[in-house]
This record gives sequence, structure tokens and C-alpha cells, in this order.
Amino acid sequence: MPLILNNALPLHWAVGGAGIAAVTLCLLFVANRRLGISAGFEDVCALVVQQPYFARGSLRAARPWRLPFVAGLVLGGFLSAVSSGGWEPTWSLGMFDQAVGLGPAGKLAWMFVGGLFIGFGTRLAGGCTSGHGIFGLSNLELPSLVTTISFMVGGVVTTQVLYRVVFN
Amino acid sequence: MTLLYILLGTVFGFVLSRSGASDYNYIQRMFLFEDFHMYGLIGSAIAVTAPALWLLRRSGRTTSGRSLQAAARPRHHGHVAGGLLFGVGWSIAGMCPGPIFVNIGEGKIYAVAALAGALVGTGFFGAIYTRLQAPLRLPPLAVGTGEG
Repeated sequence: MPLILNNALPLHWAVGGAGIAAVTLCLLFVANRRLGISAGFEDVCALVVQQPYFARGSLRAARPWRLPFVAGLVLGGFLSAVSSGGWEPTWSLGMFDQAVGLGPAGKLAWMFVGGLFIGFGTRLAGGCTSGHGIFGLSNLELPSLVTTISFMVGGVVTTQVLYRVVFN
Repeated sequence: MTLLYILLGTVFGFVLSRSGASDYNYIQRMFLFEDFHMYGLIGSAIAVTAPALWLLRRSGRTTSGRSLQAAARPRHHGHVAGGLLFGVGWSIAGMCPGPIFVNIGEGKIYAVAALAGALVGTGFFGAIYTRLQAPLRLPPLAVGTGEG
């Protein structure tokens, strides 16, 4: 199935998985950093608001790598668009457009609500798909297994309810 | 080193963009159990990372000779509640944290709203951390829930 982005064909999952593993291992072996992206939200918050929680040492110590890494994520998405048919601002949202058909304002509100859950949830759990799902599971950490099962359950239940009940 | 981090982030972002991990449809089809792709992606990433990580830990040194920092994260009761909430958000937005940034780069305008929501959610969590500490047995403020 083609991607929403330029209708491009995706990489084979094994190639993508190898790429994710290569970056994860490189980050640890070269820079001694464990992959984890959601704490980047805290780094950005720390730039704007003064809160004791965002001033803790363990977070500040990671800022010199995580902020540039997150900037790289944006750049990587941009280069992916440019090299797959061109960069162009878009509102297109695949299945959601067919099922709901919200306009731009509705989509912004929908995404903002999703973001609230993502920000609060990942920080309460101490990590997301990358920190717990990839690094933590690979490092055989029990809290990461608990978190990964929890967010998969949360996602499966929500999507099943949305697409099999609410949008139907 | 900053350039290296930008480069690694760029490669990671490119892979997330082209592998379906930043694609709303692929995320929903994963949660609907209609497509094996995302399970294959995450599974193969772990299948390569786990044994390599084990070997790296055995040598215990980075390229510059420093001792490897891969200690386990603090344990607390936020993992289940936080994971469930994050899962709901992942389903609604069709993006997890990395892909929020990737989708902004791709030009998907609505991803900016997802980032705004995530930052507000994070700010709210930071603001009420001390009140959540006792009921969820979160680590001391100086430690935090973990930098994942």
C-alpha cells in the first residue's frame, strides 16, 4: 500500500527495521546515548517554561544530543518528501479523510487532542515507541515491556472503537 | 558531535518517513490487525538491536573507550497508566513522538497541532508531577520517570 506522502511505495519492513536498529546502535556505540525521543518534548518545554521538573540534571544532560536529533527528524522528513516527488504542504490524512471528512480546523483540533494524550502519556510512562519499544525491549527491561504492552493495548482499543464503531 | 546527532536524527527521520511509521494509514491498519508491516518493522528493529546491544554491553565500551551507559530505567507505577494514555493518543493522531517531528518535516500541516498538543500535555505533566508522585509512586523529582 502506498504512503500518504506522495503516494510513494514504502521500504520493505525488514529494511526499515534494520535502519532503525542501525541508528539506535550507532547512537549508543558512538555517542553513549540511549535512544528516546519523547523526552525531547521536555527539552522543548524547558526552553519555554521554568519548572523544577524540566530543570532536573538527568534531562539537562541529554539536551545536547536530543535537541539536534529531533531537529534531524524534521530534516529527514523534509528530505524524504523532496526525494519522493517533492515537498508540498498538505492536509491529506488517508483513511481519516474517507471516514470522517473533517476540514482543516477540525483536523487541527483532533490532532491537538491526540497530542495531549501523547505528551502526557509518554512522559508519565518515561518513554515512547523508541525509548521503551525499541531500546528498552532490546535491552530486556521489564518496565519497557509493561509500557509497550500498555500503549499497544491503548492504541488497539482506541482504533478498533473509532474505526469499527464510531466512524462506521 | 552536534552534527553527528543531526545526521543520525536525519537518517532516523528518513527511515521513519519511508517505512510507514509516520503514515496515518499504516498506524491504523496496525491497530486494526489488517497489516503485518508495522509489526514486522518494530519486530525486525528489535531483532537486530537486541543481540547487538548484548554484545556491546559485554564489551562495555563505546568507540571512545567510555563505559557504556545502558542502565535500566527507574521503575514506578506510571508505566501502565502512561502507556495506555499514550496508546490512545497514538491512535487518535496516528503518530508517535518521532513521527510527529517527521510529519512536520514532510509538510503535513496537522502534525504541528499534534506537536502543540504534546508540548501542552508534557507541560501539564511537569506542572503536576509532585502531585502524581505519591499515588503513582513516581521517582524523586530530580530523577524523573526516565528519559525515553
